[in-house]
Amino acid sequence: MEVCESSKVSLREFGCEQNLLSRPDGSASFVQGDTSVMAGVYGPAEVKVSKEIYDRATLEVLIQPKVGLPTVRERSQEQCIRETCEASLLLSLHPRSSLTLVLQVLHDDGSLLSCFLNAACMALMDAGLPMSCLFCGVTCAINTDGQIITDPTAAQEKESRALMTFAIDCAKRRVLMSSTKGSFSVHELQQCIAVSQKASEKIFQFYRDSVRRRYSKNL
Amino acid sequence: MKDTPLSNCERDFILKAIEEKKRLDGRQTYDFRRIKITFGTDYGCCFVDLGKTRVMAQVSCELVAPKESRPNEGIMFFNIELSPMASPAFEQGRQSELSVKLNRQLERCLRNSKCIDTESLCVVAGEKVWQIRVDVSMLNNDGNLMDAASVAAITALCHFRRPDVGIQGDEVTVYSPEERDPIPLSIYHMPISISFSFFQQGTFLLVDPCEREERVMDGLLMIAMNKHREICSIQSSGGIMLLKEQVMRCSKIAAVKVSEITELISKALLNDRTARKAGGRCGFAESMPQERITALKTDETLMETSDVTERANDIVEKAGAPPQTVPSPLVPAPGVGQVSQGQQNTWGLQEEDEDDDDDDDEQNGKETKMETEPQEEEKGAGDVVEISDSEEEEVVILTSETSGQAKNADSSSHQKRAAASKRRPKK
Amino acid sequence: MFHFQKENCRPDGRELSEFRTTTLNIGSISTANGSALVKLGNTTIICGIKAELANPTVEAPGKGYIVPNVDLPPLCSSRFRPGPPGEQAQAASQFIADVIESSELIKAEDLCIERGKLCWVLYCDIMCLDYDGNILDACIIALLAALKNTQLPEVTINKETCAPEVNSEKRRGLTIHKHPVGASFCVFDDSILIVDPTAEEESLSTAQLTVVTDEADRLCSLHKPGGTPLSGEKLQECISRATTRQREIQKLIDKVICSVKTEK
Repeated sequence: MEVCESSKVSLREFGCEQNLLSRPDGSASFVQGDTSVMAGVYGPAEVKVSKEIYDRATLEVLIQPKVGLPTVRERSQEQCIRETCEASLLLSLHPRSSLTLVLQVLHDDGSLLSCFLNAACMALMDAGLPMSCLFCGVTCAINTDGQIITDPTAAQEKESRALMTFAIDCAKRRVLMSSTKGSFSVHELQQCIAVSQKASEKIFQFYRDSVRRRYSKNL
Repeated sequence: MKDTPLSNCERDFILKAIEEKKRLDGRQTYDFRRIKITFGTDYGCCFVDLGKTRVMAQVSCELVAPKESRPNEGIMFFNIELSPMASPAFEQGRQSELSVKLNRQLERCLRNSKCIDTESLCVVAGEKVWQIRVDVSMLNNDGNLMDAASVAAITALCHFRRPDVGIQGDEVTVYSPEERDPIPLSIYHMPISISFSFFQQGTFLLVDPCEREERVMDGLLMIAMNKHREICSIQSSGGIMLLKEQVMRCSKIAAVKVSEITELISKALLNDRTARKAGGRCGFAESMPQERITALKTDETLMETSDVTERANDIVEKAGAPPQTVPSPLVPAPGVGQVSQGQQNTWGLQEEDEDDDDDDDEQNGKETKMETEPQEEEKGAGDVVEISDSEEEEVVILTSETSGQAKNADSSSHQKRAAASKRRPKK
Repeated sequence: MFHFQKENCRPDGRELSEFRTTTLNIGSISTANGSALVKLGNTTIICGIKAELANPTVEAPGKGYIVPNVDLPPLCSSRFRPGPPGEQAQAASQFIADVIESSELIKAEDLCIERGKLCWVLYCDIMCLDYDGNILDACIIALLAALKNTQLPEVTINKETCAPEVNSEKRRGLTIHKHPVGASFCVFDDSILIVDPTAEEESLSTAQLTVVTDEADRLCSLHKPGGTPLSGEKLQECISRATTRQREIQKLIDKVICSVKTEK
């Protein structure tokens, strides 16, 4: 239903709810079109001796697929998300402790990795963990005509010949993480990065608005 | 990660409250918490909120070979995943006592009660049947996971539609939902599990215990029942002795609760069906509360991308084109090749003395390359082969028969020497 | 370490944008259908290709498949323990699988023998013998060279019995459509980029990045699993370095293959 109306360079409607689970220290759900992800953060808490790092906190990222057990694909996504979070979190403030980030797929309708990243960032914010910068994820697809589509749906992803996901930091709009599929030219890559940087501004604005809304009554 | 321990005074407080017929959240003894059922975008996806407890069930199907003992029955598979999101005490991919217990109870409740017609899931007897897989993930554990899981699982099964199949000869075609409307499962009845917790050796009884109450309880009784008041499974755990009257009383309460919940499920399913028929959007995205302060939603946003191309061009141009020429590789022996830039470093097949020659050779190689243009690969390659051929007399010659190991041993001795002599001129 | 970098040189005497010596040997395992051994400095990777006959899946009846697996045994470094593959090995396997898929270096249709009935499965087992950083680059080179070295026997299907007949006398090579080659970089805090990191450099770096390009200068993968952010300009530097590297390696592989052929 989304496909017909969305012009090429637009983000699907997105939404977020924070603090929706009672058990985790921080939780958020992030929705992009029909793609939805729920994230929960535990920590800083006690760490297993085997995983202890003496000068910073140990971050673990777990992805729960909707059906079945996590596979190698989830493992590699976990690695991407973990290293992105490690770069933005100030882990050295909590040495010898553990942080656990659990991401649950609720529905996959394209741009899943970017949705993971956005949900992760919102959950980390909700948990009140100190971060050096915020980050967001943007997925771009290049279709067979060479047009760039941002935030593609699953159908658009299938038709595209290249797919790229970037994590952008909020400080200087630089690329924290990149993961690509399919082949593309250097020029297309740089265009996609530029588009993602543009899109990230919208998402960061959304982050700010939702935090402002959340704390509007406390002030 | 360990769960937060419960302190003694908390424990005493909860027990004291139960003795006074009071509960932490202000419920009466036989009250259930509020149940909310929502559906996901695809068929067979269901979320259940039981107070703060939250679970998700997803049904999927797959064509498999049937079990030998039952060649014309489909297979039901249940999996309860205690996701670490639900509680810090849960670990991923580990079978704990609790997960085994929940899985067993769900199987008893839904498989052994024969509530689903497995024979209708047969496609080709003895060859292909549908395997229906139910994955239940816990999202938040605030007690009574079992009841929430059973409601979620049966609702998801009712909501699920499997793709239609056509059989022509021995070819089985699975039709996509666009081609033919998917078919719902045939379900005879809906068993729902109801949990009772007992305190003080069975003196006090509570329905739908929350997480705190579960921690201090002495025993648990789970009764799975359908709306026809037929008991599908009954299980007592925790090692308390129950009187006959107590069990009877529990089953009476269960009958009331089950008929209430069944009605709720039917209503939720009906709502969803009308919403889908109306063509409206449904799914998790729609169920997000709009009025809550912690939630925010934006509409579809368009982006200004006019200067994107220019920016990209800028960056690409600024970087300049990469050099077209590359150093040529050396082929000391058939089947072995080597490439390195500039000076030799500590590891190499060449001996120290040849370094200079080597560099010259590469220079030559580069020059010939520049003249011949990279497109004329063959000619360029021909030249270089000649060069390396001429070198073969001086180089340590390795024939393709020598194994990789021999080469290692051979070269590591050179390596040390080379390393030693190489470092000196650098400093 | 940082002192080294200010001086624009590295502990082993390389410049920042300099690769270690790359040595390639093909046909190292005589029992495999194809194999290659790559040494990148001290890092040693061996890749063996085993071709087996199998039934294609129902979803893709006209396609064969390629199953890459990266193994990091305890042998190659003290950081790995015996047992099931660790996160790094799994991530590397996934990365190699992604590169194969993205670059289309082999068309899955080429592996089909008879539609819906029989196809080739290529098991690409990549094993690390010595771990000294930058295994991803070495893995891709080893895989590419091994695939180029692979010879498949001719298979015909007997009309009467429907059983496949393998003719081991007649062998042919695989058609390699693209030549993807990777270049890995390490980033240090103040955005110093170094190419082809050793294990020591990898462990001290704040971010890693792998760029895979093919002969037409198209990118097959830009894999950066987190770490310190980089600007578009910096990425461009990496890409141009990677294209140079691609030419270098492709030439190396061609030459080595060529040398084996002339020997025969």
